[in-house]
Amino acid sequence: MIKHKALLQCRVCGCLSHAPTQLKRFEVMHCPRCGARVKLAQQSTSVEVTWALLIAAAILYIPANLLPIMSVYMLGAGQPDTIITGVYHLLEAGQWPLALIVFVASIVVPLLKLFTLSFLLISIQRRSRWRQYDRMRLYRITEYVGRWSMVDVFVIAILTGLVQFGNLARVDANLGSLSFAAVVVLTMFAARTLDEHLIWDIAQQEEAQA
Amino acid sequence: MPEVESIACQECGQLHRYHAIAPGKTANCSRCGAVLYRNRPGMLDSVLALTLAGLTLFVLTNVFPLLGLRAQGAEQELHLLGASLAFWDQGYPVVAGLIVLNIIVFPVFELLTLLMVVLTIRYRWKPSMAIFLFRWMREFKPWGMLEVFMLGVLVAVVKLGDLATLIVGAAFWSFAGLILTMTAATALLDPFSVWRALEKNND
Ligand SMILES: [Zn+2]
Repeated sequence: MIKHKALLQCRVCGCLSHAPTQLKRFEVMHCPRCGARVKLAQQSTSVEVTWALLIAAAILYIPANLLPIMSVYMLGAGQPDTIITGVYHLLEAGQWPLALIVFVASIVVPLLKLFTLSFLLISIQRRSRWRQYDRMRLYRITEYVGRWSMVDVFVIAILTGLVQFGNLARVDANLGSLSFAAVVVLTMFAARTLDEHLIWDIAQQEEAQA
Repeated sequence: MPEVESIACQECGQLHRYHAIAPGKTANCSRCGAVLYRNRPGMLDSVLALTLAGLTLFVLTNVFPLLGLRAQGAEQELHLLGASLAFWDQGYPVVAGLIVLNIIVFPVFELLTLLMVVLTIRYRWKPSMAIFLFRWMREFKPWGMLEVFMLGVLVAVVKLGDLATLIVGAAFWSFAGLILTMTAATALLDPFSVWRALEKNND
C-alpha cells in the first residue's frame, strides 16, 4: 500500500501533492501542477456551502414555478405563461414528446437535484457507509443532468429574439425566467461545491483508525 | 519526481501506480471502474483537426442567421448573438450575460484552449500558459451549454411551427456540426495524458 494520509489530490488536474505539516487556518494551498486551490480535509467547508446554496435554490424554486416566465402576444392580446402552462400548451398542440422534455428538464430535474443533493449531504453528515458506489454514481448523474434545466431559458431567449412583429406578434420575457435561471445556476454551483470524495473518505478514515 | 508515480482516481480518490499501457488500451480504477488514463496514438492530431474545424464552424454559426420567421409579409431573422442578447432588451441583463457566457464565451474559450494545449505539447513550448488555460477550461466545462441550447432551438422551432413560416438558417447546420466536433474532441482527449505531457515540457 502507498501511504495515504499525507497525500492531497487536486480536484482539477488530479495531481497528488504532499500536505504541509502545518497550515494556518486561512492559509491557502495551491496545486503544484495547475495552480488550482487544494483544500485540506479539515478546512473543507463543502457541506456548509452546499447546504446554503441548496436552501437558496429551494426558496427560488417557488417563484420560478409560480411567476410567469414569458408572455405571448398575438394582435395585441396575450397571456403570460408559467412553466406549467407552457408545458400544457405544448400538450394541447399535440407535441407530447416536447412537452415531456420540457416538463422533465424544467420541473422534475431541478426538484430531483434539490432532493438528491440534500440526501447526499445528510448521508455524508451522518457518516454513512451505505452503498458508496451507488451514491457516487447518483452524484455524477445529478451533476451532469442539471445543466439541461437551462433549456427553457434558452427557448425564451430564442422566442423573444425571433418573434417581434410589432403589434402582430410579440414574445416578452417575464420575471419567472430570472428566478428560474437563478435556480439552475445555484443548483449547478451546489453540485460543484459538494466534494464527492467525502462519500469515500469517511469509510477510509474509520478503516485507518481501526 | 518520485521513482514510482502514484496517481489517484479522479472519481473516488483510490490510489494507483502508473504503468505504461499498450496503444489503444485504457486503465481503469480498481475500486470504482472510472477511467484513469488512456493510451491513444494520434490523439493530439485528431484533437487539433477537430479544434480547427470547430473554430471554422463557430465563425460560420455567428455570421449566418440561425432561424428566420415569415408571417403576413413581415420577416425576422435571428443570429446567435441576437438570441444571446434577447433578455438584454427585455431588461434582464444578468440572464443575457449568462446566456452569452454559456453559448459564446465558454465554447470559444474551450476551442482556443484546446488549440493552445495541442500546439504547446507538439512544439514543446513553455507550458505555463497552456497549463493556466487548461485548468480553467476544465473548471468551466459544465458552463458551456451548446447542446442544451440546441435542444432549446428545437423546442422553439416546434413551438413556432404552426404560428408562422420558419426558415432554418445556414447557421443552424454549422451549429449542429460545431456540437458534434466539440463532443468528439472532448471524448478523444485524455486529460491525464495532457497533464503529463504539459508537465514534461517543463523539465
Ligand atoms: Zn475510482
